[in-house]
Order: sequence, then structure tokens, then C-alpha cells
Amino acid sequence: MSGLLADPAGALRRAALLMVGGLVWETAARSGLSSPLIVPSLTRIGYQLWVLATQPDSLVEAWYSLARALAGFGLAAVVGVALGVLMGRSTLFAASLGPFFSGTYPIPKIALFPIFIYLFGIGSLSKVLLIFLECLYPIVITTQAGGRAVNRVLVWSAANMGASRARILRSVVVPATAPFIFAGFRIALPIAMIVVIITEMISSADGLGYLVMYSLASFKTDRMLAVVVVIALIGVALDRLVVYVRDRLVSWERLESYYVS
Amino acid sequence: MAPHTPQRSTRAQPSPARPAIAHSQSRHFGDVPLSGSRSIGLALLLAMLGLWQVAMRFEHPDFILSPSEIARHFVEALWSGELLPHVGASLARSLPGFVVGSLIGVVLGLLAGVARSLDQLLSPVVFLTYPVPKIVFLPIVMLWVGIGDVSKIAVIALACFYPCFINAYHGARGTPTIMVWSGLNMGARRSQTFRKVVVPSALPLVFAGLRVSLALSFILLFSTEMINARSGLGFLIRQSESSLRFDLMYVAIVAVAALGYAGDQLLLLARRRVLAWQDATSR
Repeated sequence: MSGLLADPAGALRRAALLMVGGLVWETAARSGLSSPLIVPSLTRIGYQLWVLATQPDSLVEAWYSLARALAGFGLAAVVGVALGVLMGRSTLFAASLGPFFSGTYPIPKIALFPIFIYLFGIGSLSKVLLIFLECLYPIVITTQAGGRAVNRVLVWSAANMGASRARILRSVVVPATAPFIFAGFRIALPIAMIVVIITEMISSADGLGYLVMYSLASFKTDRMLAVVVVIALIGVALDRLVVYVRDRLVSWERLESYYVS
Repeated sequence: MAPHTPQRSTRAQPSPARPAIAHSQSRHFGDVPLSGSRSIGLALLLAMLGLWQVAMRFEHPDFILSPSEIARHFVEALWSGELLPHVGASLARSLPGFVVGSLIGVVLGLLAGVARSLDQLLSPVVFLTYPVPKIVFLPIVMLWVGIGDVSKIAVIALACFYPCFINAYHGARGTPTIMVWSGLNMGARRSQTFRKVVVPSALPLVFAGLRVSLALSFILLFSTEMINARSGLGFLIRQSESSLRFDLMYVAIVAVAALGYAGDQLLLLARRRVLAWQDATSR
């Protein structure tokens, strides 16, 4: 909101851009050059959006996707921050776990999904665990980098004033690492959304990813695009939420302006 | 988003001796050097594989294979020609997607980082749509260009565009002002300043973006292939899973892992080549 007030010209420009895009789409839809199946008009997409938002059924689908994404992400956040801080502050942890993480980081974990289905069933558990695994890497790696970068003067002064090791970790290292932790969160959250949608597209009978594929298969393009809009909005909203929490908690370091549009 | 000129956004440089990039770079995934002692990690990996192998002596479900069995099947599939056509099909999708998407991303990102008009045109759109999971565009693209390879390449390119654009943009904007000034002062033209000052100083972040894009391209490749394809490693995993050929499934998974790892190593090698000067100054 503050962005709107601080930069009315930018907001106007964005609105104009959005309107031009909408106009082009609507012209293409109404010109009759393309089938309404390929490019449905905005009013039809809007109507489907309204249907989605008012039907309890579709809200349940959205809730499934959101719950899976957040469960996997939350698990990864807890485990990832703990591992990352330990790896950033202890050479033993860094030496034993570092090669493991760097070696398996470029491997697409999504390939393990079939095995996960066999191990944990086709329901939510296999999806949540896959999201956990994909989110864990960015969080661990950015947190470790942050843990390494903690100003050692701060650690020394805390130790000098008699703080125990646990106290230093809790009161100095974790807050000093927080900007990095949130940077990791902002990478991991879109990944969580990607993976939940993908896994629901591949094998599921519920969730928004399933709804996209189902609408496509039944040639309800307007409905599919409405679901895509919902997914996009959830993605943006979650990102905003992380930025909001970050700005609250890490008030001493301003987030660079380019990310906050 | 407040419009900034590159000069304004980079005014604060506490110590010129320390490159500005080295600070901001660590916030970007994919550029964090992960060394540590290799031997301990390797020992841990071998111990895990050994434990796995030993655990296989006990009763276990059919869908879990021991490492030695997987290795044997891998070699067999390599010779029998069951694997290589799928590897080729996957690469024929991921490489064009990665190259096109990241090339457009890097070029536009660098230009948006130095040209205010382009910045104002592109950045709001890019940063607003950045958190949208790009895989949702697969059905739409499929509808428009068909179910074949083009739709997969387009979605991979779209996903690769974002990290490259964002990192190249930050990289260009993070160019220390003093370097641009000295370039201009010594009579460099605008194009020369861009080529010889802005681009080199943005390169570390560009490589970080490329690394993220590469990882993303693999994720999208295998998921698009799992959703619909008649060839490729993702298809192979799906098909062998549903026909209960677990040996082939593991072979395909190992191939996926190997490809992802090899691509990342290639990129790191290129980075070390291109950025030899940076490693020399920052360590």
C-alpha cells in the first residue's frame, strides 16, 4: 500500500500496462479469429473466478493445495534453519553435511516422486515430503551463508559479557542470520508452490493442480484460466506475506526496493 | 516500485576495496561456495550407501533396490539402448529452453539495469509475476502451440527467464558508481561503459542466476515430461513405475541425477573460467 502512495506514477503505469494487456486479450477473444476454447474472453474467466470463489467445493481444493505447500514449507523452514545455523557456525557440521548438500543440490528431487508415492502413499504425505525436500536446500544453503557471515565482533562481545554458547546462538547468531533466512524463505516459497501444483497435476484427485488438469481435459478453458489466476494470486500473496513478516522482524535492515514492487 | 537510476541505488559503498557484488551475492541462491572438506562428506556418502546395501539383506518391499543392483541395471540399460534415446529427448527439450530463456533474461535484465525506460516498462511486470509458479502456464501453452515439444520448451524458457533477469538486473544496478565514473572520465562511450564496466561487474550475479535457472529447467523438464510426453527421462520414470519395472525407474532417476549434477558442474567450471579475476580478488 505504501508503495502506491510513494509512487503514484509507477502505480498508474502498472495499471495502464494491465489495461493494455487486458484490452489485447479481449480483442483477440472477441475478434472471432480464435476459438473461445483457445482464448476465452475475460468476462467468462471472471465469471468462472466468481464461481470458484463462491463454491465451497473449489475453496476446499484451494485449501488442500495451500495446506500441502505450507506444511512442506514449514517443515523445511524449521529443519532448514536449524541445519543451516549449525552448518554455518560449526566446522564439524559444515564438513560432514556440506558436501552432501552441495552434491545433491543440482539433482531435481522431483524425480524421486514415484518412489515417494510407493513409500508414503499417493495422498498428501508424499507431496508434503517432496515439498519439504525441495524447499530444504535453498533454506539450508542461504542460512549457512548467513551463519558464516555473522560479524564476529558481535559474537565476541556476547561471549565477553558471559553469554553461554546456546545463548549466543539464540540471541546473536539467529537474529544476525535472519536477513539470510528470509532470503532463503523467499526462494523456497515459490518452489513449494511449484512442487505442490506439479505433484497435483501428476497424480492427485484434489487440489488446484488437479483442477487445472481436470478443466483442461474437459475443455473448460475459461475455468482452467480462472484456476491459474487463483494459483498466481496465492503465489503473490504468500510472497507478500513473507516480505511483511520479514520487514516486521528484520526492521534494522531495509529490504532492497526492487523486490517490493 | 520506486524508479531509481543506477547511480542512486548504488550510492552507499562503505569500502571500495571490497567489491559490492561480494556482499549482495551471498543473498542469492546458487552462488554460495560449498566446499568444506570433501573427504568427510565422501566417507559419509559411502557409509550411507554401504548401510543401504547391508539393509537390503533384510526383508524389504519390491520397489526398493540395493545400490549394487541399481548400478548393474544402469550399465545394462546403457548398453541395451533403453536409456540413451530418452536422455537425448530430454536434453533436446531442456537445453533450448534453458538457452533461450536465460539468454533473453540476462540481456533484458542487464539492459533494464542500466536503462531507466526499459526498467520502468519491464520490472513491474517481472517482479509482480515472479512468485507465480510458472508450471501453471503449461496447460495454457499446450492449448496454444500444441502438446508437443514446443510447449515444454516454452514453459522451461519462461521459468529460466526469471532468475536470470532478476540477477542480471541486480548485477547491473549494483555496479559500483565509482567504476562507471572512472570509465566515463577516461573517455569511454556509453556502449563501452556498458560492455567493459557494467557487464563484468554483473557477471557473478549473472552466473548465480544461471545456476538457479539450470536447476529450475531440470525440475520443469521432468515434471512436464511426467505430465505428458512420449519420450524423455520423466516419461521413462512414469512409464516404468506404472509397469512395475522398478529397475528401469531407478536407472532413469539416476540418469536424471547425473544430468543435473553434470550440468551444474559444467556451469561452475565455466564460472571459474570466466570469473578467475573475481576469485583472485575476493579470497
